[in-house]
Amino acid sequence: MTEPVIGFAGLTHLGLVSAAAAAARGFEVVAFDPEPARVAAIAGGELPIVEPDLPDLLAKHRDRLTWTADPTTLGRCDVAYVAPDVPTDDTGASDLGPVRALVDVVARALPDSAVLVVLSQVPPGFTRGLPGLAERRFSQVETLIVGRAVERALHPERFIVGCAEPTLPLPRSLAAYLGAFGCPVLPMRYESAELAKISINVCLAASISAANTLAEVCERVGADWSEIVPALRLDRRIGPAAYLAPGLGIAGGNLERDLATVCRLADRHGTDASVVRAWLGNSAYRRDWALRQVHARVLSRRGDPTLAVLGLAYKENTASTKRSPSLSLLAALAPFRVRVYDPCVAPRTEFHPRLEGTATALDACTGADALVVMTPWDEFRALRAEAVAARLRGRTVIDPHAVLDPVACRAAGLEQVVLGVAEEADA
Amino acid sequence: MSGGGTGLRHHSPEPTDPTRVVVLGGRGFVGRELVAALEQAGISTMAPTRRELELTAPDAGDRLAALLRPADSLVVLAALTPDRGRGIEPFVANMAIGAAIARALARVAPAHVVYVSSDAVYPMSAGRVSEASCAEPPDLYGMMHRARETMVAAASPAPLAILRPTLLYGAADTHNSYGPNRLRRAAHKEGRIALFGDGDDMRDHLFVDDFVALTLLVLRHRSQGVLNCATGRSVSYAELARKIAARFERPVEIVAAPRQAPVAHRHFDVTALHKAFPTFRFTPLDQGLARAHRQMLGQP
Repeated sequence: MTEPVIGFAGLTHLGLVSAAAAAARGFEVVAFDPEPARVAAIAGGELPIVEPDLPDLLAKHRDRLTWTADPTTLGRCDVAYVAPDVPTDDTGASDLGPVRALVDVVARALPDSAVLVVLSQVPPGFTRGLPGLAERRFSQVETLIVGRAVERALHPERFIVGCAEPTLPLPRSLAAYLGAFGCPVLPMRYESAELAKISINVCLAASISAANTLAEVCERVGADWSEIVPALRLDRRIGPAAYLAPGLGIAGGNLERDLATVCRLADRHGTDASVVRAWLGNSAYRRDWALRQVHARVLSRRGDPTLAVLGLAYKENTASTKRSPSLSLLAALAPFRVRVYDPCVAPRTEFHPRLEGTATALDACTGADALVVMTPWDEFRALRAEAVAARLRGRTVIDPHAVLDPVACRAAGLEQVVLGVAEEADA
Repeated sequence: MSGGGTGLRHHSPEPTDPTRVVVLGGRGFVGRELVAALEQAGISTMAPTRRELELTAPDAGDRLAALLRPADSLVVLAALTPDRGRGIEPFVANMAIGAAIARALARVAPAHVVYVSSDAVYPMSAGRVSEASCAEPPDLYGMMHRARETMVAAASPAPLAILRPTLLYGAADTHNSYGPNRLRRAAHKEGRIALFGDGDDMRDHLFVDDFVALTLLVLRHRSQGVLNCATGRSVSYAELARKIAARFERPVEIVAAPRQAPVAHRHFDVTALHKAFPTFRFTPLDQGLARAHRQMLGQP
């Protein structure tokens, strides 16, 4: 057969990156979104997201990409992915209305022979509950990592495909497309595939929660979590790529969404999710780590301090501030002067009433009584501790991710506070 | 049983003095300090004595309702504390007090209610406590406070702040519970401090002046919700005893007494307090102990 034409509907983070990867693998791609303004902007090179390497990838393969707001264009597709990002609320509950509406639009536009694949994150039961022919309808697990989405989309570890009947071979068009990526394809029933994504995130959350719990113990008993991690990675039961870096809770919302889904499923079906609730509780607690450090080390000692905050995005390489620990910190520091810098996110007074944006990271440090590094951007890793010390009025650097070099901080006379690292005992 | 929320929200973002504060239990250890602070701040205050308002009396609800005005802020401190026993009788008396207050609140809704509860609503099995912790009281005293919290909340539409203080200390404390006050008095009188076991149980001790200051903030902001009142820094009884002993010129012996309960630690996550009152600064333990010590000795 000729190479199948692949469609992507819903041009937010997941759809855009997936469309770019499909084009890069040599397929003709129809990229559809019902918002004409969004499509026009993307076609003109204005991307609604920040994702490393994505602009270059789209530019390089633009000949294979058709951007459209006209659903009938999807009539050319052999396989169409429905891929809008699923919005979540503060409780982690998903709003499935937009993805359901888009499925309707795509299903009407596709020829009878084409395959519809739900790529968005949906709860178990969603795909089976959709109208239409089950044998042409599939779900597929997305494993997008914001900031590393292009690499993950080009080189997936495996494809997890939810099917009405997993013992039957996949349609040739879908099999040909997935086969082009050269990774294992795991067909399974819809509900298993939908739960597989949740399972992946629950396992990651378990690792992060273990790391966060033990990192806090390290801070109190004189240990250093970063010294322990290599020993864990060499244990084959844990593995070299395990999520063992301590963080400010479980940021970003996607893992929390899946944990909330597990709790809802458990409550509905009478299974035990108490451990998952404990992880959520721990996440909320660790999220405020920096605030507690600021109070203990700065606010309890100085009446009207100025604070420097580096980073507003919820993680590096993104402009997203959704559930950002930095914004949470700023909200709790309203009475104090704050100088802030982020490479991608412009400061806004809604973040903090006395926020002063600066042109560079070092400018933010000027005259501040303490520095708090909330997002581990590479740009901050390039800061020299000496230069920071020269700008700061105080000596405290609250640096959860150890973005600044600890040895250089010590040499510069800075008191660096890092997640999972106890302060050194006096000699 | 849920812990009751995750902190306070302020109905008055800018601090505003309450019109009048009615303090029930204004003659106790905390009540006296609070009334003095309110008067010092020039805030109209009414603190009925037991003779003026016996809250365990059958008509107490009516009498309290007659005192209350809609513009008042009501602070509930009245309770038979554990030094008066943790058994059934004080429990029943405390519930009668709670019922009277609830009856009064059902008739007259004040502008604001502050119910002073206790960290006794949390089980000692919870090493770290926050406002989100499960409030499963381990005994009748804690159960009484948890029940009265619910009674007051159900009785009135007024914004309600529930304060759950940790162990409070100050020279004028009359309760003599196992904490800085008892240890200081024992050191003063006997030259000796007896600790249960090795004194390694960890506790958070809050200076009464800090609790009063927090209560004033809650009143001025008409805050609503649940707030644990603690410093967020726990110390062992052994360390506490050493700090107290060090304040005396003559040597103070620290000895081990047989344990009456297994080792149990309590730490507070005070993030909610930091968020509610970002500029509030606690009296460091050493300073608070020094001040209480001087007050005990009648020194300035």
